[in-house]
Amino acid sequence: MTPWLQRLLIALALWLASFSLVMCAQRDVGIARDETVYMGHGSKYARWWLDLLGGKGSMASEKAITAHFGGRGPTDNNREHPPLMKTMFGLSEIVLHDRLDVASEVSGYRAPTAAMFAWLVVVAFLWAADVFGLATGIIAGLLTLCLPRAFFHAGLACFDAPIATLWFATIYAYWRGLRSVPWAIGAGVLWGCALATKHNALLLPFALAPHFLWVFVRRLVAGRKVELVWVVVPSMMFYGPLVLIALWPWLWFDTVDHVRDWLRFHMNHVHYNFEYLGENWNAPPFPWHVALVTTLLTVPAATLVAGATGVAAWVQRARDAVQRARGGEGDEGGGDDTAPGLLLALSAAVAMGPFFLGSTPIFGAEKHWAAAIPSLCIAAAVGTVWAARSAAAAVAERWPDLADRAPWLEVAAIAVGGALVVGAAALETVHAQPHALSSYNAIAGGAPGGADLGMNRQFWGESARGVLPFLRTRAPAAGAASKPVYSHDASPAWGIYLRDGLLPRTMPDSGREEGGVASSRLAIVVHELHFNRHDYMIWNAYGTLQPVFVLRVDGVPVVSVYQRRDQ
Amino acid sequence: MYRGGALKKLVLGLAPLLVLAAFSVWSTCRVVGAGAGVPDDDAWQAASKAVRAEHRAGDLIVFAPRWIDPVGRLHLGDLIPIEMAARLDGDRYGVIWELGIRGARAPETRGLSPASQRRFGGVVVRRFERAPAVVLSDLVAIAAAAPGSLQLGGAVARPPQVVLAEVGFEPHRCVQVTPAAGQEMTVTFPAVTLGTELVGAVGLADVFTRRDVRTPIELVVTAGGREVAKARAGVNSGWVRWRGATTPGSGDVVVTARALGGSKGRDRLICFAAEARR
Repeated sequence: MTPWLQRLLIALALWLASFSLVMCAQRDVGIARDETVYMGHGSKYARWWLDLLGGKGSMASEKAITAHFGGRGPTDNNREHPPLMKTMFGLSEIVLHDRLDVASEVSGYRAPTAAMFAWLVVVAFLWAADVFGLATGIIAGLLTLCLPRAFFHAGLACFDAPIATLWFATIYAYWRGLRSVPWAIGAGVLWGCALATKHNALLLPFALAPHFLWVFVRRLVAGRKVELVWVVVPSMMFYGPLVLIALWPWLWFDTVDHVRDWLRFHMNHVHYNFEYLGENWNAPPFPWHVALVTTLLTVPAATLVAGATGVAAWVQRARDAVQRARGGEGDEGGGDDTAPGLLLALSAAVAMGPFFLGSTPIFGAEKHWAAAIPSLCIAAAVGTVWAARSAAAAVAERWPDLADRAPWLEVAAIAVGGALVVGAAALETVHAQPHALSSYNAIAGGAPGGADLGMNRQFWGESARGVLPFLRTRAPAAGAASKPVYSHDASPAWGIYLRDGLLPRTMPDSGREEGGVASSRLAIVVHELHFNRHDYMIWNAYGTLQPVFVLRVDGVPVVSVYQRRDQ
Repeated sequence: MYRGGALKKLVLGLAPLLVLAAFSVWSTCRVVGAGAGVPDDDAWQAASKAVRAEHRAGDLIVFAPRWIDPVGRLHLGDLIPIEMAARLDGDRYGVIWELGIRGARAPETRGLSPASQRRFGGVVVRRFERAPAVVLSDLVAIAAAAPGSLQLGGAVARPPQVVLAEVGFEPHRCVQVTPAAGQEMTVTFPAVTLGTELVGAVGLADVFTRRDVRTPIELVVTAGGREVAKARAGVNSGWVRWRGATTPGSGDVVVTARALGGSKGRDRLICFAAEARR
């Protein structure tokens, strides 16, 4: 088997495994608040494209585009977010649910995110394999798959997993593009797709520009050819914006104004509430260390330790290479003057960077800097393989009889090390589902440790799905009056739960705030500090502060259910 | 010498992999087993049964840490009136039951020694006894029972209302007032029975107005024509306690609520409670 075929087959296996696992897991995950918005608009966008491509020329008119993609208000037709993934959600639901009937409505919408996340696993594998070898690549891919929070987001019809994928894929294509014109063009196209997915992609040049300058200048200084290197720059500058505009009909006219409106929305984004180290934060200045601490408490601890080992090994390797070069033994850059380590570090730093400013809105913790984490996974794979090789070498040296079996010894050590680190991350990921937003790693002490530290319990109201089985036990008897449920943060998803049969139609959402509480017979509270006020509204209306059920994750309350006393 | 050096090399070579292995096993056990560190319903039921056997109406029940409160209320919520949960403070309660897990303690029992302590699974039940504060008048109760008796002055944007409000992410039954932006208003409670001290608290209600308007407020309290307390509360202050000495007898209590920050100080939901204590 050729190395190329071998990689292709492994990549395929990783993609299929990742996609299948996420699609299975997401079936138990509740519907996140934002998903309902993206699902609805995604269907609208998809139908517009199908009509256009089906020959309905009138769809290309300014009026039709505005009616589907734009509008005067800053959130009309969800124009504050580019449409690529939403369109994919809509198309996927039409194909997988409406036409083929191989997925539920919700799974149909979510499939594109799962597919994109599977690509992230593949890109992590390919990149690490390119630079460090096959074993490192496989471990890097698997560690990327086994991230509790990222795995959770991979099953939602939202943008966080897709933008992490497209960010990382753009970086990878750019790196390959330093030596290949087709990859340089690919980098531009991928950046355009990233821009058409989420505004985080606007930060990519801040990672790429310093890296490019480093590589370019080093080549100039070393007297090497630079012709091919610079091709990636015009390619990205040309194809990136072009693809963005091609994929976003709202930019087909009044382009500058519409781009300005898009960016203006995010420059003035409202601040949401999040809990961090025992305090509720909803206004800047935020602590500078939110991204750092949250990452340290949510990425599996074994991955973090392996990552630290990998960084140390990597730095040592670079130092050795410099010393060899000074001694006239070889290339100053250690053989690879495209500096992939620097690029991965810059990618992580820039993905996290805005959250060190203390003014960037934070309303989903780790998901905002998800693009930084694959760099860590590659470092962890490097660390694991380095540790395994070091052990194998020590054993071979101690017992010279084993020297002729050294390659097998190394393979065995890598297999054991990889299995341990990946196994730990995998078990943590499995354990975290379906309420992974409440999960914390061993450093925090798991979910209860996270609660003790006063870390964010959850967001988006998805955990309400977990109390639906209990609510069903309180359903009205046939012919009896309906029992509206006050569902607050889960209210956007309530209609879908009813449609999917997770609740009887006789248990509709009761409405918003005091009016909703007043007309409800049952009520839920999704536990976040700033939602405590819903508890108090319910106490007032129901005359009791005693819930009838509390959903817990490892003992930590995530949703309470109240029932009116007169039932 | 040779053997020692070789062994050292072997250990050093194996160490990184062994550390990774140990860390992997430890982290898995710690995360997957984390739930075992939180008492289950059986433990709570046993603790609840023990509390119910000795509990008397008017005993305060508190839970620690704060995040376990919903589970505590699930098992003992029927013994906690809303007025008790939304209390000014814990001083008026002579008996306090504290149910704590994971070594946590409730702020209400700080500095007190338990009269009894029992453990049920991971739930530690502590019973505290002390001389309760004797309340002669409760301004919130007065405002609820006779709102027409209150006299208003100054720049009133919203008149007093007795509400169950979220202040500092905790429940408090309070008198809520809103002065005009950057202005002050007064609420006079006439002929209040006073003791030796007036104890109270103030805070800004509603997380979303606290987010959108960041200016602080100030409360000045006079009793019998003399200023007895002044307190300032910001968006992150929570429930700010204050107390002042008073002369026993009857006298007007005037509460001046001031929205600071000029025209920016709008929509301040100033929430206060106070008790005259013997």
